[in-house]
Amino acid sequence: NNNMASHGLTYDGCNFFRQRLVLSTLSGKNVKIKNIRSRDDEPGLRDFEASFIRLLDKVTNGSRIEINQTGTVLFYQPGLLYGGPVEHDCNPQRSVGYYLEALLMLAPFMKTPLKATLKGVTNDPTDPTVDLLKSTALPLMKKFGIDGEAFEIKVVKRGMAPGGGGEVVFTCPVRKTIKPVQLTEPGKIKRIRGVAYSVRVSPQMGNRIVESARSVLNQFLPDIYIYTDHMKGTNSGKSPGFGLTLVAETLNGCFLSAEMSSTPQGQGEPVLPEDLGRNCAKLLLEEVYRGGCVDSSNQSLALLLMTLGQQDVSKVLLGPLSPYTIEFLRHIRDFFQIMFKIEVQMPLDDERKGGDKVLMTCVGVGYSNINKTVK
Amino acid sequence: MECNNDINAMIDLAKVADLVLMLIDASFGFEMETFEFLNICQVHGFPRIMGVLTHLDSFKNNKSLRKTKKTLKHRFWTEVYQGAKLFYLSGMVYGEYQTQEVKNLGRFISVMKFRPLVWQTSHPYLLVDRMEDLTDPEQVRTDPKCDRTVSLYGFLRGAHLKNKGQVHIPGVGDFQVGDVGFLSDPCPLPDARKKRALNEKERLLYAPMAGVGGLVYDKDAVYIDLPASHVNQLQEEARPTTELVQSLIDTHSTLDTKMAASKVSLFTGSATLDPTHISQHQHTREKEMLEEQSVWDPTTNRERRKVIFTQEEEEDVSEEDDSEGSDQADDEDDVECEETAAGGAPPQKKQKLKAETGRSGSCAELPAFADSEDELEMSEEEEEAGTPGDSGHSSEENEESEDELTDDDDDGGEELGKQHSEKESEEEMEEQGALKWKEGLQQKAAEAFLRQQEAAPNLRKLVYGSVVEVTESEEEEEELGGLFRVSRLQKSKKLQANALDCSRFHADTGHDWDVQEVLDSIRDCFVTGKWEEGQDAATLLKQDEELYGDFEDLETGEVHVSQPQDTQDDDDDDDDEEPQVKMDDEEVQKNKRLEKKRRLKERFNSEYDDGDATYFDDLKEELQKQAELNRAAFGDMDDESRVQYEGFRPGMYIRVEIGSLPCEFVTNFDAHYPIILGGLGSSEGNLGYLQMRLKKHRWYERILKTKDPLIFSLGWRRFQTIPLFHMEDHNGRHRLLKYTPQHMHCGASIWGPITPQGSGFLAVQSVTGSKASFRIAATGVILDLDKSVTIVKKLKLIGYPFKIFKNTCFVKGMFNTVLEVAKFEGASVRTVSGIRGQIKKALSSPAGAFRATFEDRLLMSDIVFLRSWYPVSVPQLYNPVTSLLLPAGQKDSWSGMRTLGQLKHDLGIRNKPNPDSLYKPVVRAPRRFNPLHIPKELQKALPFKSKPKQQQPKGKTPKDLQRPSVIREPHERKVAALLHALSTVHNYKRKNAHKVQHAKHKEFLQQKEKDEEAKLKRQREAKKKLYRVMGQKDQKKQRSSLKGAPSDL
Repeated sequence: NNNMASHGLTYDGCNFFRQRLVLSTLSGKNVKIKNIRSRDDEPGLRDFEASFIRLLDKVTNGSRIEINQTGTVLFYQPGLLYGGPVEHDCNPQRSVGYYLEALLMLAPFMKTPLKATLKGVTNDPTDPTVDLLKSTALPLMKKFGIDGEAFEIKVVKRGMAPGGGGEVVFTCPVRKTIKPVQLTEPGKIKRIRGVAYSVRVSPQMGNRIVESARSVLNQFLPDIYIYTDHMKGTNSGKSPGFGLTLVAETLNGCFLSAEMSSTPQGQGEPVLPEDLGRNCAKLLLEEVYRGGCVDSSNQSLALLLMTLGQQDVSKVLLGPLSPYTIEFLRHIRDFFQIMFKIEVQMPLDDERKGGDKVLMTCVGVGYSNINKTVK
Repeated sequence: MECNNDINAMIDLAKVADLVLMLIDASFGFEMETFEFLNICQVHGFPRIMGVLTHLDSFKNNKSLRKTKKTLKHRFWTEVYQGAKLFYLSGMVYGEYQTQEVKNLGRFISVMKFRPLVWQTSHPYLLVDRMEDLTDPEQVRTDPKCDRTVSLYGFLRGAHLKNKGQVHIPGVGDFQVGDVGFLSDPCPLPDARKKRALNEKERLLYAPMAGVGGLVYDKDAVYIDLPASHVNQLQEEARPTTELVQSLIDTHSTLDTKMAASKVSLFTGSATLDPTHISQHQHTREKEMLEEQSVWDPTTNRERRKVIFTQEEEEDVSEEDDSEGSDQADDEDDVECEETAAGGAPPQKKQKLKAETGRSGSCAELPAFADSEDELEMSEEEEEAGTPGDSGHSSEENEESEDELTDDDDDGGEELGKQHSEKESEEEMEEQGALKWKEGLQQKAAEAFLRQQEAAPNLRKLVYGSVVEVTESEEEEEELGGLFRVSRLQKSKKLQANALDCSRFHADTGHDWDVQEVLDSIRDCFVTGKWEEGQDAATLLKQDEELYGDFEDLETGEVHVSQPQDTQDDDDDDDDEEPQVKMDDEEVQKNKRLEKKRRLKERFNSEYDDGDATYFDDLKEELQKQAELNRAAFGDMDDESRVQYEGFRPGMYIRVEIGSLPCEFVTNFDAHYPIILGGLGSSEGNLGYLQMRLKKHRWYERILKTKDPLIFSLGWRRFQTIPLFHMEDHNGRHRLLKYTPQHMHCGASIWGPITPQGSGFLAVQSVTGSKASFRIAATGVILDLDKSVTIVKKLKLIGYPFKIFKNTCFVKGMFNTVLEVAKFEGASVRTVSGIRGQIKKALSSPAGAFRATFEDRLLMSDIVFLRSWYPVSVPQLYNPVTSLLLPAGQKDSWSGMRTLGQLKHDLGIRNKPNPDSLYKPVVRAPRRFNPLHIPKELQKALPFKSKPKQQQPKGKTPKDLQRPSVIREPHERKVAALLHALSTVHNYKRKNAHKVQHAKHKEFLQQKEKDEEAKLKRQREAKKKLYRVMGQKDQKKQRSSLKGAPSDL
């Protein structure tokens, strides 16, 4: 046993798989996941989860992973985060966003700056796409003191589901400590930006999406600019598709986002670009309604970075917590013994700022990057 | 705390000390321990150090006293810092130090400022001042060696301590904290400060583990046995008399024995309790503990709930519960507490018990405590109902919470009901055993929900209402229920646990964004919407106007004046009485002016100061701001809930319960040794490879050998491990060293506990006993942590050529198989003579032979070698120094793995030296030179002088040249003898004659020489005579020619 005092944590089922492994890696606690789809027709880990484990193995040094024969039990003993140049073929069952979300949580705590090249599906309807993470997660992390020239996500090739064929380069510097933040005032939305992307379809699709999305958003704000991104040739992946990512930026530098992708080829009703644009704009309005300083898909990232801060108070205002975030909070308590103080802020009667907000307060664990080498 | 003369205790205390009083016997001078301790302090952060010189009265001579003081002071200063405080105690009077001096010392201590040390401020720690064994005596009886459950008490220091964290007890090992609870300060500060002295009532003696007699401990109280007459003499009690000190000094017995021996009265005047009584009491308590423990399932805390406790055991039960349920305690209502308190038992405990029974029982029991219980708690429980197994709680809960989250306010009740029914059915499907307590949760939840609606929600209660497993999310779901629709209501639990792992928040809300009202609800989120009062553009403009409105255009000379504000005010106030308004007006205006002035000044100040505001200042300001925030964030909460968010604050008196401590900890307990509970960071409980920079201590006499075990003190820990020393080459390679350099830093790699980089460490060779020489072998700092090491040592593979072509050569003997060669294809090789080459390809015939090309032709006598680097593995030895587990009196005799040298010494092993390295007498063979051979041609050409002569002696004459020897007849022999005699005579005569002749001739030569000389003399005189005559003639001639010439003429 790696740990001298504790025997690690045990969980059931494959849900929140990434959270558990990521938190285990950061806290150094062993984790055992049992009953992974044990009642399923195809029991055990799926290919994309196996691929995720392999990625984790690539960025760490000394991890021990044991999986039983049927794949229903996984034991993970974390090693130390190593980083460096990593190349990974992500399983096309899930998009790169699935893998990238975990890497975003781990990257600042590596031994050497991470330069990950992820290949696979860049955009699909299930997971947050690379464009979304690029435009929301990175500015969020910058607030925690993680920045620098080499901090970026670059979409080299775009690959739509189900074929994939995309390529994303994610580089991130390492930090010894994370700054505490006080994100209690989101500010007003000053501009909306977006990317309408299309591959292996008519370049006009992008324009049609932009047109319809603007029609909805123009009721609120004149400052809207949606880029069209049409990739051709080798950069266009293997499957046709299109989609839209919208990001609203506030005066205080908070980002709220929404996105929508076309249904993968041969997996359901095709959608019209106009509908997609309009629906996506409405999703953004919904996101604005929820509000907060962090959008719903990055809540857990923000909470994690607050937890891993110095022994100082961090505050962040969120919209309603997503189920994923709620589970994440529980996991944080399991792994780091950190509880958040949660206060609900009801909107005033005359205020027209969307729904209830939640103010999350916590004291960091005083985490310092034990992987980084000092000279 | 007094430190023993034991390096273990010295190391431990140096890590937790704020102030070190270093007593130095001036009559003796500095001792080795003094310097050792100073060096230990230096490594683990430098606490305040104050020297105290004692035995100054032993100096009879005043001058020598002054001199000693001065030398000691200066030496002390070089060690600590220039001007370090040194205190002088002149000497003992009647076995005590002089009161005035001690008072002064105390005053110095009280005004001392302590410096924050990095390790101490980032880790929580406890100097244990009380230890209690909670193990069930029955278990101890049946198995005296069983692991013990122990509770440790002390003031928390350093950082915040989280419940259920990991701790290290130096000298014992690593443990998981079972439970932490805080108690009231056993030695509170007096209310009013600023007094020079305390009044008698406030003088407390807090001397834990000092063996002050008559103390009995309970879970959260300490009882002191005082005779009734002593009550009025508290002061005496408070001042440690000699006897007290004496008793303090010679306590060796443990608390247990002391407790057994002492008598207790709970109230003054009441009958004292028998020791037996007490033990009985303890017994019952501990028994209960046992029960709990036996049922305890370490991974899942729920199993134990099934235990049914009798009324008598209440107290104990509650205690046990405490271990896991501090959270629980919090949730419970105060009302209940009071009720239970009335019953006589500690309030919390009872509550807990109730909760316990409630849970374990069926729902029929529910009403009994329903009033006091929170809705939240119930809701939580309800959530838990979904969990099939213990460990699965998280995922299941989540699911539920999702459900609830998505509920709408309006239809929440109904939907909830639906959910519940569903859940119930699911529940039933699942294993019944573990779920008994979950029955009736639905009802509870429903109740809870209704409550919620009417009462203003107390979030803390809602969130951390009851069960340990409760999370924040519950509250969420209740509070925000209105925002969401049920999204995954239909899915069963099981599916949920294995549902799609996706972070996206699917919004299935009914907001129809085509409706204008819905759109309006977020109108103000945009810059185009309405702004808050303070941030409205209009107000901002107005403020600006106020500030910057007045200005004079210097070019045109025009003076711009801002709009007078009061006009507006006037208008507003017009309705009021005129004079009043006037007064107000003036006042207002004055205020405004002042305000304006102030603001301008501020502005100027800030601008002016900006110039020399340094980065450091900014940083300081930021830190201060953050510190204020930290204080403010949880300042208004009560401790019970506060400890849940931020952990236990430093300064609290806490009780830490630890299970499964080795029994020796209790049986060999010795209060003389410090017990420290050091909290560990998140991954500091793990083991890995540590890379450190290390330097042999300059006062240590020997250098250290690679792979010899060494005892490190790192972080909280003391452990033995096997270091490998290495040096970094210019290309970043870590090359193994056999020994540490004499005066230089080198790298070291060990297998040990993960400790943050930058932590200092020290190493000692052994902790046993005390030696004359300096014991700290090395010091250094951690550089890097990893799960693998990169140390290499040089390895030269040697081969021999067996066939040589031009520059190509076949080499054998370097490898054994073709495969090995294949691995080294292309590697560069070299010969001893310096010819470089490359391995090309393996040969088939002698296994391991290969073809190699070189830059020049090799000789068969050449040796080919390949320089390579072989990775070295660090031995995975981590052996904590368990000095506290040793029997009392032998605690300084811990010995671990021995070094190679010690082993050899102890076992009397001497290595057989290599015979080649031994010295032998030198025997030299006589030198033989070959004859010089000159070619015939050359010989011919040489002059005779240089030609080789027939130098070789004549060998034996060949047979044909040998003459037969002549044998004479007797007559002939006589003739020959006669002839020989005659010839001898003749020879003799001839010799004599010759001699005579020789002498005669010599005489003749002398005579002849004489004659010759005489003849020469005569001739010379004749010549002289002649020349004289001739000269006279010439003179005459000349004279005559001068005067007689005319005559001639």
